[in-house]
Amino acid sequence: METLETAKIIQRLEDAIELSNISYRYPNAVEASLKNVSLTVEKGKFILLMGSTGAGKTTLSLCLNGLIPQLMEGILTGQVYVAGKNVGKTAVQSLSKVLGLVLQDPETQIIGRTVEEDTAFGPRNFLVPLDKIKEKVNQTLAKVRLKGYNQRLTEELSGGEKQRLAIAGVLVMEPEILVLDEPTSELDPIGRSEIYQTLDDLRRQKDLTILLVEHSSEDLIHKADEVVVLNEGKVAWRGLPAELFRNLPLLRQWGIKPLPVSQIGWNFYEKGWISFGQIPLDIPATESLIRGLLPKYGHRQGERHKKDPLKKQEPNLTDKVKAVQVSNLIYQYNSGQPALQGINLTIEVGEFVALIGQNGAGKTTLAKHFNGLLKPTSGEVIVEGMNTLQYETYDLARTIGYVFQNPDHQIFSTTVEKELEFGLKNAGFKGQVIRERIDQVLQYTGLEKFRSVHPFSLGKGERQMIAVASILVLKPKLLIIDEPTTGSDWTGVQTMMTLIRNLNAAGTTIVMISHDMDLVAQYAKRVIVLKDGGILLDSTPQDVFSNESLLLNSAIVPPQLCRLSSQLKDILSEEILIESSEFTAMFESGERTGCL
Amino acid sequence: MFIEYLPGNTLLHRLDVRTKMFGFIGFIILSFLFQDPKYQLLILTLISLLAVWIKIPLRKIWGMLLPLIPIVISIILITGFTFAPERFDRVSSQVILFYVLPGNRLGATVGGFLMGTTFILRLFSMMIVSSVLTLTTSMDDFTQFFHKMKVPAEVSMMLTTAIRFIPTLDKKRKLILEAQKARGTNFKEKGIVGPIRSYLPIMIPMFINSILMANSLSMAMLNRGYGLTRACTSIREISFASRDYWSISFIFMLMTLAIYVRFKLHLGVL
Repeated sequence: METLETAKIIQRLEDAIELSNISYRYPNAVEASLKNVSLTVEKGKFILLMGSTGAGKTTLSLCLNGLIPQLMEGILTGQVYVAGKNVGKTAVQSLSKVLGLVLQDPETQIIGRTVEEDTAFGPRNFLVPLDKIKEKVNQTLAKVRLKGYNQRLTEELSGGEKQRLAIAGVLVMEPEILVLDEPTSELDPIGRSEIYQTLDDLRRQKDLTILLVEHSSEDLIHKADEVVVLNEGKVAWRGLPAELFRNLPLLRQWGIKPLPVSQIGWNFYEKGWISFGQIPLDIPATESLIRGLLPKYGHRQGERHKKDPLKKQEPNLTDKVKAVQVSNLIYQYNSGQPALQGINLTIEVGEFVALIGQNGAGKTTLAKHFNGLLKPTSGEVIVEGMNTLQYETYDLARTIGYVFQNPDHQIFSTTVEKELEFGLKNAGFKGQVIRERIDQVLQYTGLEKFRSVHPFSLGKGERQMIAVASILVLKPKLLIIDEPTTGSDWTGVQTMMTLIRNLNAAGTTIVMISHDMDLVAQYAKRVIVLKDGGILLDSTPQDVFSNESLLLNSAIVPPQLCRLSSQLKDILSEEILIESSEFTAMFESGERTGCL
Repeated sequence: MFIEYLPGNTLLHRLDVRTKMFGFIGFIILSFLFQDPKYQLLILTLISLLAVWIKIPLRKIWGMLLPLIPIVISIILITGFTFAPERFDRVSSQVILFYVLPGNRLGATVGGFLMGTTFILRLFSMMIVSSVLTLTTSMDDFTQFFHKMKVPAEVSMMLTTAIRFIPTLDKKRKLILEAQKARGTNFKEKGIVGPIRSYLPIMIPMFINSILMANSLSMAMLNRGYGLTRACTSIREISFASRDYWSISFIFMLMTLAIYVRFKLHLGVL
């Protein structure tokens, strides 16, 4: 008996994380968030934890460092061991020496005013002597690529820098295990790649076990040792990333975004042309696969230009009212810093425009001119025939809808229904009309079942939908939507984007600000790239994304399939393809030929 | 913040926060010792010299003083008419200039007007001396001061976090304001209830967001070992340099002199 116990303890010391039969139910929740989760993670592994929203990923990370049940109430059963320590019996504070947890929002994880002060916070609590703290702080800052930032004010850091500082804040305590709960969900692509680079650096140092909760997969597939998929509070799958990302039906089932290139591969696999293991996961593999298959199964070259007539839709009604007309728009902040320098832009009624560019390029500043939140320093903005200089935002709100990135900044009512009512009352609508419009929009957005539910009891994706719905009730002619999919899982993203596409089809002009290039390429019909307050490119997604060198300058990486198209330039005769179906259409497939 | 830290490298910047606090209190005592405006003027000149020395932003000071002019005038008038002659020691101060009401009632005393002037000069001195203090002392130094004064760690932690989150909350407030404006909120509603009602859409999300933020902040703090021990390593040990001893002895001498002048020589009273 005793030897068995000892063996168990030794095993525990070798495993970084050991969960046995963990179940947890939040107070007041009907259903358990975790159901009998058992999971062991070996020391030094890089594990990717995936799953749709509400699958229990965050709950699991909170169990790992004891915040559940020590800070959160609720019913927890089962045993958690991290680095041989029983989490139930060790204080959260002591656990922070073995397991560091980085949360989603970098803003609330920073405690100090300066970078140094913030990083020193942890060791100070452990009464580490001052000279030792200084040494540790400098070492840790170098690890997260913030060397020399010591005296910088935390308030002035960029999003990526803030999140790296948050990582430094837990790393400085030299934990053996690092758990990151969607550390990049609030960041732009640059911030995101900064985090991934930092994780790469950390990986190279021995003995750090990393558990990363993440939605996006393209950058991580070759980095992670293993993927664990949670679904409805249970471990649904565990194995090599490549195995999972080749298996498209599984991904769909769990609401995980598939890699665009593997969608092409899956198609070939279904036709029996390649084996499962040959399904490509990156661009080079797909390129050589297509080149290899093309002579065998490819179409004749001439047939692929059927899309062209669609592209050239010349606006023939020139006297019609334009959705947006911007002429010589210059905008300066109060500090005199120029934010927009001479923008000229016309958006026709019914267009679907995406504004892209790195943070600080002026996307949001430009969009805020469309509904009068900002007024031009010089030049003018005319929306739906109204000069924004002559109208207040609350007048323009009836015609121009603006959905902001964070739904929590606007939700203030006790029920979803009341939340939708607010805008209508502001616009002066009364009784029957209000009820009709709300019914209509609730149905349209699929929020019908939440009509009298408190908005904050719903998930982030649903709150995002409420924010959209609260604008849609006003039936705007122009809808501006800023990062509509932040923090949503793949299913949520698709629901939202389908809704926006339908609105556009019904005649609403859409202006979407997004960092997600896959979405931009897939949904927008026109892409405007902003850089340093000016328009860098303005064309169809195909044209814009073929301009790789220019885009690189403004730190935009074209979507995977566009990059694949440029690799296949010689075959595609300079054409840029956006959808995986366009690639498969190059091949004989019987039922699919010509129906695109 | 009303007045922010003004980075610089004058002696005043380099002095230990405790020395500065001592000097600050010293000046306040000094200005309360004397009633005579001439002495107040001397103190004010002394303080103004300090202010010029640290290159105080004059525009900011003007911005602070300008709205006070009506108060200045009313203080002088009120003290001029309400101070009875018996309240003054000196004969010259007891002189009554004229009466406002017939029957020798509500007389304007010389001492009263002088007292009013003293009040004003005292107010100005205090405003400038506190600006000098806050402009030359960083927030860090103030927390150090609390620490040295044995204020519990929780209190200084609360103060530092509050200061850290002021800009963050301000950013939130702006975002919320914009989001509600975009939904057609009109902040120019009329009536008594109107303005209050129109601010609910700002206040409620503000509260909710603050609570959410406080919640994740508390998690982040626990994650980093806060509360394991009641103490924590202080990040910067402040210590007296020779300049501090010199300054303290100078302030001390100045105060002794002032007390001697005031109580032994009976100067500076009205």
